[in-house]
Amino acid sequence: MTQVAYTVKLGKLNSLTNTPTHYCAGCEHGTLTRLIAAAVDGLGIREKTVMIDSVGCSVLAFNYFNFDHIVAAHGRAPAVAAGLKRVHPELTVFSVQGDGDAASIGLLELIYAAKRSTPITIFLVNNAIYGMTGGQMAPTTLEGQVTTTTPFGRNVHMTGTELDVSKLVSTIDGAAYVKRASLAIQEISSQRGKVYTIKNILDAKKSVENAFKAQALGGFAFVELLSTCSINWKMPVLDAKRFVYDKIVKKYPLGLYKDTFGLEKQ
Amino acid sequence: MSGNRVYLKGNEALAYGALEAGLNAYFAYPITPSSEIPETLAKEFGNKKYPEYKFFLQAASELEAINMVIGAAGGGARAMTATSSPGFSLKQEGLSYAACMEIPLLIADICRAGPGLGNLGPEQSDYFQATKGGGHGNYRLIVLAPATVQEMALLPRLGFDLAFKYRNPTLILGDAFTGQLKEDVVFPELTTEHYDVSDWATTGAKGRAPHVLNSLELDYQKHFKHIGKIYEKYERAQANEVRFEEYRTEDAETVIVAFGIASRIAKGAVNRLRSKGVKVGLFRPITLWPFPQSQLRTLASQGRRFLVVELNTGQMVEDVKLAVGTGVTVDFVGKWGGTVPTEAEIESKIRRLEVVAV
Amino acid sequence: MSQTVAVAQPRADVVILDERCKACELCVVACPQGNLKLSTRLNHAGFHPAEFSYHGARGDCTGCGVCYWVCPDFAISEIKVRA
Repeated sequence: MTQVAYTVKLGKLNSLTNTPTHYCAGCEHGTLTRLIAAAVDGLGIREKTVMIDSVGCSVLAFNYFNFDHIVAAHGRAPAVAAGLKRVHPELTVFSVQGDGDAASIGLLELIYAAKRSTPITIFLVNNAIYGMTGGQMAPTTLEGQVTTTTPFGRNVHMTGTELDVSKLVSTIDGAAYVKRASLAIQEISSQRGKVYTIKNILDAKKSVENAFKAQALGGFAFVELLSTCSINWKMPVLDAKRFVYDKIVKKYPLGLYKDTFGLEKQ
Repeated sequence: MSGNRVYLKGNEALAYGALEAGLNAYFAYPITPSSEIPETLAKEFGNKKYPEYKFFLQAASELEAINMVIGAAGGGARAMTATSSPGFSLKQEGLSYAACMEIPLLIADICRAGPGLGNLGPEQSDYFQATKGGGHGNYRLIVLAPATVQEMALLPRLGFDLAFKYRNPTLILGDAFTGQLKEDVVFPELTTEHYDVSDWATTGAKGRAPHVLNSLELDYQKHFKHIGKIYEKYERAQANEVRFEEYRTEDAETVIVAFGIASRIAKGAVNRLRSKGVKVGLFRPITLWPFPQSQLRTLASQGRRFLVVELNTGQMVEDVKLAVGTGVTVDFVGKWGGTVPTEAEIESKIRRLEVVAV
Repeated sequence: MSQTVAVAQPRADVVILDERCKACELCVVACPQGNLKLSTRLNHAGFHPAEFSYHGARGDCTGCGVCYWVCPDFAISEIKVRA
């Protein structure tokens, strides 16, 4: 074969360590890890980025990202992020949190961080279930969804209706950028028949970049990423992706909920 | 403030003491009887006298406040919060995490009567929570017990020094009485030195490997070693950081052991009894952890009796008994519910001890 | 892993780290040209890692990078394009 000269169009990211992840096959946590690393590399801020790891499937993220970390208690990441950012405003501080961490036990910390326009970035991985602890109900679990603590399907009379976190955060004055995107591939019809598109992942990629830009402009940024949990939903990976677009987006529509700096217009 | 004699409430003195010690960030939540601490620090924010004082915020809960302290302290800042007993219970989670992550921070607990809501009177019933580790897991807090408003002003400096020296949370365990009492204070020089946090703080991984402040260790052997290393620190602290005050103990037959406001009343009782010819003295621990075990053991070996006076149902008395060993008389005067014992009550107990001894 | 390529100068190449692949098949279904499928090999974790072939079911690899972004495990570690 003739020698061909290649350039690397997409390759290693400095913000990633080489450690293989513990995430389940097909889990969007891995995708988000790549998007965050690409954004941090792209903005050239690796050396002044600190991640506040939260309690959920992403708790071991300190093994995957090549920058400083503080691992917070369950739900407390926005508070830890706020404390660090206030004494080191030159740092870029962000967290990745699951539904339980951000919307259940940590709801106060999330809302007040937004309320105070704390210049930090919060990523919520919403898969409508508690993943790490084995599939219990989350505030975002859909009505009728079977989980280990709602074995007969979620009963909203007892447990309340689903919590739309992006909508809630967008009503807080202090939030500057609130976006709901999806990390799941989507099956769509095309001339070739049914194909899978990554357009949502690419849109999420821009949202991740915007969320860091919003922090640099001094604002509170929140991005909710719809994701799957094929293990705890007890579905094969592709069925789980389909569930996101068949059911979950109907409850949690994708879109831009707040954009004080007009980042998405750029 | 330094060099001048100022007339202050205990809580105010604590706040100014923290400022003189180079406080960088304070995260508040109000609770009686400690609220003067955040109120003073709110008032003094922006005062150019304290160039190190960079940030003040009232958090939405005690939990939010302690976690903000953890974030700021994780970045190497001198960060502090204060609370009273019900709030201290809430903060135990944060303290457990901070101890495991070896994050130095300063916290003050102006103890009030419990359990539950209790009342606003003084108690010393957080002793167990403070010294035995109120949060989960194996760890210790360094615990300092002020007895005067002057000590409320001086101990924040020692608190930060010990916290950063041992990379461990440090607690100033006050009480409602000492917090509300007004006395003269002379402040020391304003601190300008900085602690070296370069080998652990999360200040951004520039030109170095990343720093990870983490308490999760799924490898059991590694976790065993990690906590073992933390306990080596505690052994060094036990050997080097015990602080106490002895008052008229040289020839005392009975030694009262008391801390905080109880020690002030006990001192009065000592003077009262001494004027009547009774050989009694006071041993006042200033560090409740590390506890002055060997000093008490020495006193016991000299044949003294002990009377522990505390505002609780009997907490420090257990540590005194442990320290002095068997065959030593250790009696107890306790008062709880928000009130304090009188000198007369202490005197009558000592008289009864003397009768028994003869 | 060398593969038989019909053109003299392939437009793109995809580097896959076998040991990181968890056989989720997202790259297999997302690739517009059909250049990826699970191999018959097994990695140490017991998964059949994905493998790349320049000539796909629907066309040659264009170096679009869809597989790179969709892979949650960074098994698809490099997309190289002809300089």
